[in-house]
Formats: sequence, C-alpha cells, structure tokens
Amino acid sequence: MTVTTAVPAPETALSVRQILALERVVAGEPEVVAGAGQLDRPVRWVHVAEAADVGVMLSGGEMVLTTGVLLAGDVRIQTEYIRSLDRAEAAAVVLGLGRAFPAPPESMRRAAERCGMPMVVLHRPFPFAELTEEVQSRLVRRKFAAVSLSEAVRTALTGLITTGAPLQRLLDEIAGHSACPVILTNLAHRVLATAGERSAVDDVLRDWERIARQAGGNEGDGWIRADIGGRGEQWGRLVLCGYRGDIETGRLLADRGAEALVLHRMLGGTVAAWEEQSAQSLLTDLVSGVVPARQLLPRARAAGLPVNRRTFVPLVVRDGDAPQLGRILRLLGLSGLVAELADGYTAVLLSFARDQDADALAAHFAARLCTGGRPVVAAAAPRTAWDDVPAGVSEALHVAEAVADTPADQDLPMLVRLRDVRLRGLVRLLRDDPHVQSFAERELDGLLCGGGDGDPDLLPVLRTYLATGRNKSRTAQLHHVSRPALYRRLEAIEARLGVDLDDFEQAASLHIALLAHDAQRG
Amino acid sequence: MSRVVRAAVFQTAWTGDKESMIQVHEQAARDAAAQGAQVLCFQELFYGPYFCQVQDKAFYEYAEQIPDGPIVKRFQALAKELGIVLILPMYEEEQPGVLYNTAAVIDADGSYLGKYRKTHIPQVEGFWEKFYFRPGHSDWPVFDTAAGKIGVYICYDRHFPEGWRALGLAGAEIVFNPSATSRGLSAYLWQLEQPAAAVANEYFVGAINRVGVEELGDNDFYGTSYFVDPEAQFVGEVASDKDTELVVRDLDMAKLREVRDRWQFYRDRAPGAYTPLTAP
Repeated sequence: MTVTTAVPAPETALSVRQILALERVVAGEPEVVAGAGQLDRPVRWVHVAEAADVGVMLSGGEMVLTTGVLLAGDVRIQTEYIRSLDRAEAAAVVLGLGRAFPAPPESMRRAAERCGMPMVVLHRPFPFAELTEEVQSRLVRRKFAAVSLSEAVRTALTGLITTGAPLQRLLDEIAGHSACPVILTNLAHRVLATAGERSAVDDVLRDWERIARQAGGNEGDGWIRADIGGRGEQWGRLVLCGYRGDIETGRLLADRGAEALVLHRMLGGTVAAWEEQSAQSLLTDLVSGVVPARQLLPRARAAGLPVNRRTFVPLVVRDGDAPQLGRILRLLGLSGLVAELADGYTAVLLSFARDQDADALAAHFAARLCTGGRPVVAAAAPRTAWDDVPAGVSEALHVAEAVADTPADQDLPMLVRLRDVRLRGLVRLLRDDPHVQSFAERELDGLLCGGGDGDPDLLPVLRTYLATGRNKSRTAQLHHVSRPALYRRLEAIEARLGVDLDDFEQAASLHIALLAHDAQRG
Repeated sequence: MSRVVRAAVFQTAWTGDKESMIQVHEQAARDAAAQGAQVLCFQELFYGPYFCQVQDKAFYEYAEQIPDGPIVKRFQALAKELGIVLILPMYEEEQPGVLYNTAAVIDADGSYLGKYRKTHIPQVEGFWEKFYFRPGHSDWPVFDTAAGKIGVYICYDRHFPEGWRALGLAGAEIVFNPSATSRGLSAYLWQLEQPAAAVANEYFVGAINRVGVEELGDNDFYGTSYFVDPEAQFVGEVASDKDTELVVRDLDMAKLREVRDRWQFYRDRAPGAYTPLTAP
C-alpha cells in the first residue's frame, strides 16, 4: 500500500486534489467516488485513454481521463480497466459521465476503492483537451521554474567561484536562496562555516551538540543534508537547517550548493583550509572584541571546542605552521583550536577538563612542538571563565611580541609567560603610550638625529653595551672592534646624549628608552 | 557524584617497523596518562602492519606469547609506571602453528588480567585472516579493571550482534572494538554498527581504526575512531580520517544507569525464545 495522504506533492507535480480544485475542472462538477484518502497523490501527467488495456500505455503517475465508451456493458472489462491502471501506478482516473455512463458504474467504483485509486466522475463533462492543456501547462511551468532556479543558483555559484570568492561568500549565496541557516561541517560534524541570519544560526548552533552527535541523521523537519565529496571520498556535509519550502526545492538547493563547494575545494581549497578558516574567524572575532565572548560560545562549541567546565590556555606561536600544530594536538589527544593570526603568529586555544593540570599539559604540547626546532610558544595564564579568554589570547600575543624583541642568546623557557618577559613585556605593553614615546625620543635624541659627523653604529653599540650589563670586553667582541675603539664610541655616545654611562640610573633610563624605541618599531 | 571514566583510544599509521611502532604506542600511553586517562586501547594488531592484505607466512613472526612474550611484559611495566589500564590487540602464538587475533588486558598496576581471542575470522579480499588466525572461543570475558568493567570485541566481530550481547550480559560497561577497516563498501557502517550495539546493549563503545595506506596492499584505513554512549551519541568528536590521533574522552557512567532504567532491554529480552539462534 502506498500512503500518500501526509506527503506533500513534489514541487514539479500537482496533486490530484490540486487539479480538482482548478477553476476549469470545478466547472465540470467533479465528484470523488473512490479513493478519497489518496487525493494528495502527485500527478506527473494527464492522459486520455479509452482502451481497456490502458495500463500498457502508461509509465506511472498519470491522471487518466476517459468517457468509458469502450467499457460500457461489460462489468469484467470495467474492473480490469481499473486494475490495469493500478498496475501501471496511475495516479487517478477521471470518468466523464453522459456518453457511456449516466451514473458512476458500481463495478469500477468498487475496484477503484479496493485498489486505493482515486476515481472522479465529472457530472458536466467538457472537452478533455481543455483539461489536459490546463494541467499540462501548469506542470511544465513548474518544471521550468525548478530548472531555472537550479540554473540560476548554479550560475551564481559558478560565477563566485571563478572570481575567486571565499567559502563564506558561497555559503551566503546558498543561504540567500534557502532563507534558512546553512551549515558546512566536516566528517567529524565540526562546524566549519555558517551562513544565514545570525540569530537563527546561533539558535541552531546552541543545539548543535545534540544534533551533530546523533549517529545517522534525520532528514525530516526541513533538515536537508547533502554530502560533499569527490573521487570516491566524502569530505564533509552541507546542511540546510529548517528549510521551510518544499523538500524538492530544498534538495535542489543543497545539491547545487554541495556541487559548488566540491568545485571550490578542487580549485585550491582543502578541508583543512576550511577548518582553519573556521577557527580563524572565531579566534579573530574573540580577540577583536567586536562580538562579546559570550555570544561566540555556541560557535566555539559547534567548532568542536569543549567549553563546559573547562580551563582554557591561550597560546601564540611565532612562525608556527597551523596544520602541523593541529596534527600535534590530535597526536596528543588535546582539545583545541588553531588559527593563523596576522604577522606570522598562530594562536592555539587549548581546552582542558578542570581536573587536568593545564600548565603541565600546555608545557607538554610546547615540548612536543619544539622537538627538532625552537619556535617560540607564548602562553597566557590559564582562564577558567570563557569571558576571560579574549584577554588571554591578547596576553599570549603580547608575550609573543615581547619575546620577538628579546636577544636570541637570552635563555627563555619552552613555554614563555608574561613573567618571563619582565621589563620588556611591560615596555611592549606601553609602547603606544605618547608619554613613553616622547620619553624614548628625548632620551635617544642625540643618536636618533644622526648628524654628519656621527658614527651610524653608535645606537647598536649602545644597545649591546646595555644588554650585556655594561660589559666592555663583551661588547667590543660582539662588534668586532678593539677596546680602545669601543671606548672612543662610548665617549662619543656620552657626549651626544649628555649622559654618564657609569651612572646606573642614567644607563637604566637609556636601556628602557631603547626597549621602547625597539618596541615601537617592532 | 557519578563515576566518570576518562578513556582513550589511539589510531595511527604503520611506521615501517615493529620497534618504532611499539615506541609510538608507548608515547601514546604516556600522552594519555598525562591527560589523566584511566584506560587506553590500541588498534587491532597494533605493532604491525595489517598483514592480512596478503597471505604470507613470513608474518607469523609477528605472533607472541600472551602473557609471557616480551611485548606484554614491556607494556605491563609501562601500565604500572603510568597507572593506566592498557588493552593490547596483538598477534598471539599459543604454540607453533596455533595462532590467534587476540587482545591482552593489563590492569593499572601492571598485572595481566587476561585476554580475548577474536571469535569471527573473515576471509575476503584484502582481509585474508583465516590464513593467520584460528577462531577464538573465549567465553566473552569481561575484565574488572581499575577503570571499570571492560570487554573487547575485535574488528570483524562487530558485525555479529551475539557477542556484543554476551559482553553486556557479563557486565561490560565499556567495550572496545579495535579494528583495521578500509574505505569502500563498509565505510558507512563504521558509524552505524557500533552505535547500534551501544544502544542495544546499553553500554559505551570505543571504536578504533588505523589510518593510512600500507605497503602490503591498497586498503585505505580511514581512522575516524570514536567513543559512543549508550544512547548512540558520539562522545566528543570522531577522530581524523587520515592522521594519527589520540582520542581522550570522559565517559559518565551515570548515563549507563540512566539509559538502562529508561529502556529495560535486559529485563525484557526473551532468551527462551532464542533457542533457534544457537542451533548448529
């Protein structure tokens, strides 16, 4: 048995019920005499057929119109006519009364009822050609609408891809057509990108944990999924969340979207790149403070970061390779997000269970990262509140920048924290302060201005002399000059700046001014 | 306060030799322990390639005595040092010519608790296991470990619901399913069968699959190891399909009781009606 009552007609078809409601059909005074429970069956085509063996001419889904002229008088043929229609999976039969039958023949009615085939009689028959023309043109219009929608979406998406539009732009386009949240996930159900009205997307993401963790998946309730993949491999999935139109159109949009994403990936993107973009936009939003941290919580959760009752450790790695950092996270079984920030820095946001030793595990991560090289890993103090995470990422970034100013020979721990960068960290933090800037200018004015008679190496010599704790032989050695030559340069510096370098406070003042000067340029 | 078991599984690619493969797994145990994991299960035949892609008796050499062979001894010491329960899926030689696909279970104090021998042995393209293993008859052991009651059901076993049930009846809270399974027709079953078993038997399942293509054949092992709870919900994310990955998850045993109180499958099963299932 086919249950069709609850299933809406596909977009390209009309239902029996819809056809019976057409103005021209109503004029024929239609009466449903059998199969009233099946009126939502889709009608694919309308066909006029009088022959008793009508079934052989059909391919299913037709509404068959007949006057019954070849059926009159033979009950067996009448019954067989209905059975033949049923075997051919016709959608319905319409009998025009008057020419062969003055009233609905009981044998046909009973047979139709048994088969569950809608049987309709027209009490005021009219030319069948009018009915077929009406229905056919409507069906063709619908099919054409579907084809043009498909074509329009495909053209728009292809246009975007050929102009090198980013992933987000493609998703925005799909969301524009579907008018519902659109979500791209990887195979691990991690949300890589979203599009659609922000509040609706957030509503979906808030419940994402439950939706995504369900094995299998339910296509009902307007949740339309399309797999993304190629060359025998699946990469991810596109989901229209709560699409309100008919399923066929939603399916069409999801399929066109998925095709475009496959093309986008094949032309240069990778799933890893998509994943990174997702983490990048999240961490960038976190750091920028444009969106309050609390509002980013659903996105973080949907991106696969555990956020409930967790301790967060923000790290910033200089010259880090984001995919490599991701691989190390997976190797160690740590939960975290990795994203490239500006200026060669990469952020890693680690998430630990409350009972775990966050400091030790962050150091463990840094140690594994430093095997075979020595990238700088700057860490912020662990944060137990999500709202404090943006400040944490900024702190780690600040530490990383301060480390970048540190001389290479200075011994730093594997995981550098704020306390390890000391004065340098403080100066870095204050580098944009106008008072600090004018202080540095004032202190170093004589050397920065240059002048025709000066030695251009004086500033580096001063820097080395102060950084080595005023060690003259070490400074001479590092600058490849003799000690008498160094003395002459130090005297020149003292003369230019009007200072006594043997005085601790004056030397310290110059040291801070140099740090500030370097930080401003860095 | 409910009991939460921090459990781990580890998926990795064949390194090219047995010793480095063992070292990779030792490091994984250390990494898991550093995170506070109480139990860790490795992939099927963990220290070797998946040699069942070919039929070559040279690979019989990978078999070891359990528990008297060197690998079990080595990991017993490691389990004791780290205080972690280890499940070691290995190639076992009971005596020359009598070989099994086995998992040894080591408790957190380093003591050897016993073994499970794979019951169902496939013999199909790319998985020529009958060449290497006798079927085991282990009577569905469940091991009372420091991390809870643990069962093991190896790879192809997972297609047979009866063993899952037997482990549930024996009291398993977590069943590990170490595997070596490749892309192709059955990939879609990987996230279907174990979750279904977890629901039917109302316990946690940890599924492990190796990654990569090895030199012995074209099997493309797709990883995606995971834990699934008694409601068939994945616990955290499913692992990568290409990279080495340690999966550490907190399994809340309150969920097991909650689901069993709600869905009374153990009460309502009808063993008296199942006689035909055990007819030879």
